[in-house]
Amino acid sequence: MTAVATPPQKRSLFGPDERKAIKDPLWDNNPIALQILGICSALAVTTRLDKALIMGLGVTFVCSLANVIISTIRTLIPNKIRIIVQLVVVSSVVIIFDQLLQAYMYDLSKQLSVFVGLIITNCIVMGRLEAYAMGNPPWRSFLDGIGNGLGYAWILAVVGAIREIFGSGKLLGMQVIPQGLYDAGYVNNGLMVLAPGAFLLLGIIVWIQRSISGYSEK
Amino acid sequence: MNTSSNGYVLGFAVTVCVAMSTMLAFTSNSLSELQAAAKEFDRQKNVMVAGGLIQEGDARPRKELEAIYQKQVRTQIVDLQSGDFDAGKTPASVEAIKDPKERARYRPVAVALDADGKETGLILPIQCKGLWGPMFGYLALDRDANHVRGITFYAHKETPGLGGEVDNPAWKEMWKGKTVLGAGDALVGITVKKGKVDAAVPAEKQHYVDGLSGATITSNGVTKGVRAELEAWKPLLNKYWAKKN
Repeated sequence: MTAVATPPQKRSLFGPDERKAIKDPLWDNNPIALQILGICSALAVTTRLDKALIMGLGVTFVCSLANVIISTIRTLIPNKIRIIVQLVVVSSVVIIFDQLLQAYMYDLSKQLSVFVGLIITNCIVMGRLEAYAMGNPPWRSFLDGIGNGLGYAWILAVVGAIREIFGSGKLLGMQVIPQGLYDAGYVNNGLMVLAPGAFLLLGIIVWIQRSISGYSEK
Repeated sequence: MNTSSNGYVLGFAVTVCVAMSTMLAFTSNSLSELQAAAKEFDRQKNVMVAGGLIQEGDARPRKELEAIYQKQVRTQIVDLQSGDFDAGKTPASVEAIKDPKERARYRPVAVALDADGKETGLILPIQCKGLWGPMFGYLALDRDANHVRGITFYAHKETPGLGGEVDNPAWKEMWKGKTVLGAGDALVGITVKKGKVDAAVPAEKQHYVDGLSGATITSNGVTKGVRAELEAWKPLLNKYWAKKN
C-alpha cells in the first residue's frame, strides 16, 4: 500500500486563526478591559488625545515587531533564557521607537518623557511574546501584535479624548467647548487632568465593555 | 541540536545581543542628524517663547517659525568681564578656545528684535541645578533689563508632575512682569516661594513666584540658579540698567 502524500495544506493569509488573532484583542479579549494589563501607562499618558494616540501607536509598533522577531527565532531560543531574550528584543524595539519619535516628533517625545521607555515594562508586550509569539508562526504573531496594540490604543484614545474635552475643553489642541459656555460659568473639570480621573473613566469603560461582552470573572 | 547546553545558551545570548546592538547603532546613526535638527529647532522655539516672540505651542509650520527666529533673534557673544558685545567672536570660535576659564568668559546671548530690527529685550541662557541634573533654559528680560518677559526650560530631567511642572505654562506665566531689581536698584533676582505668593506684600508681588508643590529642590534650584546667572550677566546688564537712569 502506498502512502498517499498529503498535499501541503494551503493556508490563506487571512484564515480563521489569523482573523481571530487580530480581532480577539480588540473586543473579546481586550488587554485593558478584560486582562487589566497596561493600566499604569493608560493612566499616565491620557491627559491629551495626541499623547494617547502616539502611545497607542508605540505599543502597536513594539508589540507587532517584537512578536515577529521572537516568533521567527522561537525554535532557537533556549528555554532557560527565553525571558531575558524577550526583554532584550523588546528593549531594542522600544529604543528604536523612541529614537524615531525624537527625530520626527520631538515635542511629543519630550512630553511623553519616560513613558515611551516604560513600554518595555508594559505587561501587554511581554504577555503576548510569552503567550503567543513563542508558539505561533511570524505572520500570525504579527497580526496578534497589531491586534493587541490596537486593542490597547482604542481604549487609550477614548480615555484621552474624554479627558482632554472635559479636562481642558480641547480636542487635539483645538478648542471644542465654546467660549460662550465658559462665560456662562462653565469650568473645566480638574479631576480629568489628574490620574484619578483616568482611573474612574477606565473603571467605567471596563464596566461597559464587560456588560456588553457578557464577560464575568469566575 | 541540544538547545539547553551551556555552550549553546551562551552563544545564543551573545548572538542576540550583537544583533540587537547592531540594529540600534544603525538606527541611532541614521537618525542622529534629524534628531540634532529637531533639538536645535526646539531650542530656538524656547528662545522665542521666553522672549515673547511666539506663544507656547505655536501651531505654525516649522519653516515659518524658523524664519521668525532668523529675523527677530540675533545671537551675540558677550565678554562677561567687560560686558561688551564682542562682534569678532562667533559661537564656533568661542567653542574653539582651549582654556576653559577663557572660554567661560564668552557667552552667547540672544537679542530680541521687533519687526524693524530694533532691540526689544535680552534672552539670557540660564542653567539651574535641578533634582536629577542641570536644567537648561532661557530667562528673557525687557529692554530695561529689569522686567521679566518670560522663562523656559528646554532641557531638564525633573520628575514629571513634580519638578517637571517647570514646563507648566500657567507657572511660567507668573514670571512675566516680575522685576529683578529691588530697592536702590540692587539685584535681588526672582524667588520661587514655598507656597503661594501673597500679593498684599509688595516685595513678594514684585520678586516672587509661586512654588512648585512637591518640588522644593527644583524650586530652590531655580531661585539660586536665576540669581547666580543674573550675577554672572551683571557686566552686560549694568549697561542696560545705567541707560535707564
